[in-house]
Amino acid sequence: MNIAIPTHALAFSLHYAEPPSFSTTEKVLLTLLIVLSLLGFFGRFYRVLRNILSARKDSDFRLAPIGKRIWDFFWEVLCQAKVIRERPLPGLAHAFVFWGFLAFALVSLNHFAAGFGLGFLDADGWLGGFYFWFAAVFALLVAVSIAGLFVRRFFVQPIWLGRKVSYESGVIAFLIFVLMITYLGAFMISSASPLARGLWWAHALCILVFLPLIPHTKHLHLVLSPITIFLSRGEFSHIPPLAGDEDFGLVTGKDVTQLVALQAYSCVECGRCTEHCPAANTGKVLNPKEVILGVRNYLNDIGPHSEEPLLGKYNSQEAAFQCTTCGACEYQCPVGIEHLPIIIGLRRGAVNTGAWEDDYGTKLFLALERNGNALGMSATERDKFIKKQELPIFDGSQEYCLWLGCMGAYDPQGREIIASFAKVMQYLGTSFGVLKKEKCTGDPVRRLGNDLVFQQLAEQNLEILKQQKVTKIVTICPHCVRTISKDWRDYGASPEIEHHSEFMARYQDKLPKTDGPDIVYHDPCYLGRYRGSYDQPREVLARSGKVIDPRRARERSFCCGAGGGLAFLGEESGERVSHVRAKELAATGASIVGAACPFCNTMFRDALAATSDKPPQLLDIAQITAQTIAAQSIANAAATPPNGAQNV
Amino acid sequence: MSGVLVVMEHRDGVFNRMSWEALAAGQQIAAASGQPLSAVIVGSDLETLSGELASKKLDKGYRIEHALLKNYTADGYVLALEQLIKKLDPSFVVFPHTYQVRDFAPRLATRFGQVLLADLVGLRRDDDSFVFVRQLFQGKLNADYRHAGAGPCFLSVQAGAFRAESLDAGSASVETFAPQLEAGVIRNKPEAPFREAAQTVDLGSAPIIVSVGRGIKEQDNLPMIEELAQALGGEIAASRPICDNGWLPMERQVGSSGQTVSPKLYLAIGISGAIQHLVGMKGSKTVVAINKDENAPIFEVADYGIVGDLFDVVPALTEAVKKAKGA
Amino acid sequence: MKIIVAIKQVPVRDSSLHIDAGGHWIDEDDLSYEINEPDAYALEEALQLKEKHGGEVIAVLAGPERGSQTIREALAKGADRAIHIECDDLASLDTLGIANRLAAAIKDEKADLILTGLQSDDLGLGQTGVVLAELLGIPHATIIMQVEAGQGSIKVKRELEDGWFQHLEMPLPALLTIQSGISKLRYATLMGIKKAKTKEVRRVSAGELPQAAAATVTLERVYLPEKKKETQLIDGSPNEAAAKLVEKLKFEVRVI
Repeated sequence: MNIAIPTHALAFSLHYAEPPSFSTTEKVLLTLLIVLSLLGFFGRFYRVLRNILSARKDSDFRLAPIGKRIWDFFWEVLCQAKVIRERPLPGLAHAFVFWGFLAFALVSLNHFAAGFGLGFLDADGWLGGFYFWFAAVFALLVAVSIAGLFVRRFFVQPIWLGRKVSYESGVIAFLIFVLMITYLGAFMISSASPLARGLWWAHALCILVFLPLIPHTKHLHLVLSPITIFLSRGEFSHIPPLAGDEDFGLVTGKDVTQLVALQAYSCVECGRCTEHCPAANTGKVLNPKEVILGVRNYLNDIGPHSEEPLLGKYNSQEAAFQCTTCGACEYQCPVGIEHLPIIIGLRRGAVNTGAWEDDYGTKLFLALERNGNALGMSATERDKFIKKQELPIFDGSQEYCLWLGCMGAYDPQGREIIASFAKVMQYLGTSFGVLKKEKCTGDPVRRLGNDLVFQQLAEQNLEILKQQKVTKIVTICPHCVRTISKDWRDYGASPEIEHHSEFMARYQDKLPKTDGPDIVYHDPCYLGRYRGSYDQPREVLARSGKVIDPRRARERSFCCGAGGGLAFLGEESGERVSHVRAKELAATGASIVGAACPFCNTMFRDALAATSDKPPQLLDIAQITAQTIAAQSIANAAATPPNGAQNV
Repeated sequence: MSGVLVVMEHRDGVFNRMSWEALAAGQQIAAASGQPLSAVIVGSDLETLSGELASKKLDKGYRIEHALLKNYTADGYVLALEQLIKKLDPSFVVFPHTYQVRDFAPRLATRFGQVLLADLVGLRRDDDSFVFVRQLFQGKLNADYRHAGAGPCFLSVQAGAFRAESLDAGSASVETFAPQLEAGVIRNKPEAPFREAAQTVDLGSAPIIVSVGRGIKEQDNLPMIEELAQALGGEIAASRPICDNGWLPMERQVGSSGQTVSPKLYLAIGISGAIQHLVGMKGSKTVVAINKDENAPIFEVADYGIVGDLFDVVPALTEAVKKAKGA
Repeated sequence: MKIIVAIKQVPVRDSSLHIDAGGHWIDEDDLSYEINEPDAYALEEALQLKEKHGGEVIAVLAGPERGSQTIREALAKGADRAIHIECDDLASLDTLGIANRLAAAIKDEKADLILTGLQSDDLGLGQTGVVLAELLGIPHATIIMQVEAGQGSIKVKRELEDGWFQHLEMPLPALLTIQSGISKLRYATLMGIKKAKTKEVRRVSAGELPQAAAATVTLERVYLPEKKKETQLIDGSPNEAAAKLVEKLKFEVRVI
């Protein structure tokens, strides 16, 4: 069959047209422009690099385990996994642009080499021909993607990208688009035509203009973010220990470390952190993106050796203390910024130096110092509860130590959860005991940045655990789990600890199963994002009903508002975080809200009643499970006739 | 060394009520130890007071008069009383435990190498000496003290610990004593006492008082208490921390540094019963306490008590009161 | 201004107290200690005066080894240095004996102003400051709410009963006992604690000071107060209890 390929103006030769040679003038001009471009790039990049490298070293940073770092680099940088997963369509578009950049590497190198007659990719050869085609496919994808992203930013205008129009982003988008078009255009002309030379120069100029723009804009992330992701702190919300007697946290520029500086400069201003922040979503001053950019502006304006406070002109104390430490920001960040250590670092700086004067805060600190619990109650109240509930005392002979925590020991609701879980453990035949003396794990002061009180509590508790020879702990509060398993490590080794949902999930086959109503499960921040335990509570709940998810679930779960010590501070401004989430949970139509954290439980208790006329029932997974167990034993008792004979 | 000397306090020509209680204590000591009882007033222009003193059952009365004693100063009172005590050489010197006494009596006692047994809630005779009872740890514990050695025993008695009603009438002669005082020895220069806010409420005459303490937690919770007070037809009062925070004016404070009240009904809500507060309301005819802690000292003085969460009990009580009143 | 603040270490407020075997004192085994709250207000007042007028704040504490924790807290809050009179025999001394020790330890300091809390939360005698003033031969005033420093003199606001107050002018040196609740207590931060490590604590053992005279008042025994009247505890749910109480108020107390 004869296929006639039309050969009119658009002579599509399927051949990358490169000008055969360049005049000396052109070569000189090219050299000049390359030098200028590189000067523009390095001149600025040097300053950024200096700010980062001359900052204080991170005393606890360890390269090992390197395997995890390599994997994270592969998955998050090369595969753009987080970029795509958390914002699918724009994420894919960005991924194409990124992969396009990688694909174009050789092409771009060859482009300038050819300018000096040193081109190494031959369009006529099989390797060169294939490669130019390979790059062309990406050029198409990139052009479409960047056009789409441009439309999104300038016409759809999602608020998370910022309220101000970003001309810088427009310019960069334009440059990338032109870059791709000039490349693709070269497939439609012949090498001999003057258009080819024009396209070649346009393409070269785009690159040479783009290069110095990189370190002057958020596009610095092109260079930095792969490094930032590779050099992460190693685990979620990793709070570094204070380095010596002079270290009080992030007080001034002198306290900014290399990692903090690197992360601040990597910010790509995508706003994913803010989009998922409970404070930013309820009218508070706190905006995680602005916190990071505040640090970056500080470093740009003043540098990392200044004694000017970090909380002042560039970041506000008010914002720093509105954070619930839910971790949505750090979890979402595609370029590896770890927001929590920075926000908590700023809090430390304010609390440890006395710059933060808050009546509720001081009351909390004194309650912990004097009474050893966050509620300021006398320890005898805990003893009374243990006696009344007839909980066994841990004496070293039992397998598990049931850690009550402040809520479990003193809060009426928390006590119900303990009572229910004790019943479940008794049903499962687990041997357990509660400690005679227990102090607060220190979670609220750890997140508020009071290292003085935290150290006291951690050390005292570790001593108690050592003396009592505790090897395994199970508890009902995800905050206790996190603090005992990770934060106490600064002061000693702690026994292994499990959350009661994880414990019950291991024995789920032994738990009775029943058909039940819809239960909407709320993932607690400290069990979900912090610990990755999303499935276990659901498996346990599935034994008692049908588990459904609210709109934002799992790693997207919306905080209840209690974390970060905020449950103990004064009234919050704006809309209540707990109310927003309560409405979302009730909107699923489920008749039961399943909670796995006593703080979530406390917050939703008032919030559900305040936001719906017929609020769903609020129960902890332990309470739901205990109810199912009780119902089954009643059913069993009814089914067995008094004389023990089988029913025919 | 013999005799019981009671130091009486007065202001604006009127005796402080606690002075009579101190005199009653003095009478008790004098009777138990078979010693003469005398009383002293310090100041200037003491004619009226002197007359009142003369109508009580005493062995002797004294009036220390000097122009420099017109206004109270620690130096003035210490020096003047020191001279009288040296002259009389009593075994016991009894004071009411008032702010003024706390200001000068310890200094006076030191001059005799003695320590003031302060704020006694009781005393008893044991063998041939006295045992003096004080409260420790803000009323949580009682303690027995004894006095030893040469030198007078200085003691002050708590408000309400001794009953002024038990004073017998009689007649006594009152002798004037002129102390040696020069202007230079008085180092402090006091100005006239003043009140800060206008007195808009007289808790002293209110028949029903609903009082609130630290248990209320936040200022925003006060309306609940006000509602109960209104339902009962009573006045609102508070313990010191509430007034310190500015949640209620100082004039509504009941306690050792506020008002002393003796209403028909005193409702103590979320008040632990620290001694500073109890002192101000012990004289109430009926005390009802609502507190979460069954060990709170307030229950010691309560006739009726509810151990529970005030946030549940108070609204329920308001409802019940309204129903009973037919509202 | 050189200000000395006398502070006492007492068991933590609201500790559950148990009487020891002999009935002479409380069992100290399980107790935690803290600064006597009125003394904390005295310290706060001293620090505020220093911030306003410059000078030095010296904390003085008489007590056993565990007192150093409270001293450190005072230094962490901002006191410049401290004197720890180390003694284990406080229980056998009376107010005069303790005040004599304090006077001996501080008289060479020639402070302008000495502040103490108005009483201690454990014994509550409320006299040590006044007695100390007498031993040092300086004027004093008690239950002070406000201090204004002048040249060689101070003007203070003294609290009287029943909502009355009085201003006094006093020459320096002088001693004041400070009323609680007059200002917000500052919190000892980590930075304060670290700085405290470098501040001087002069240790004086009781043996270096003049022998105390025999106590004239002695504490013989402590015991739980007996309830003078029978308290009727009303039980039941809040609604039930409220109803029962209203019954009693209506028919027994007759106020409704």
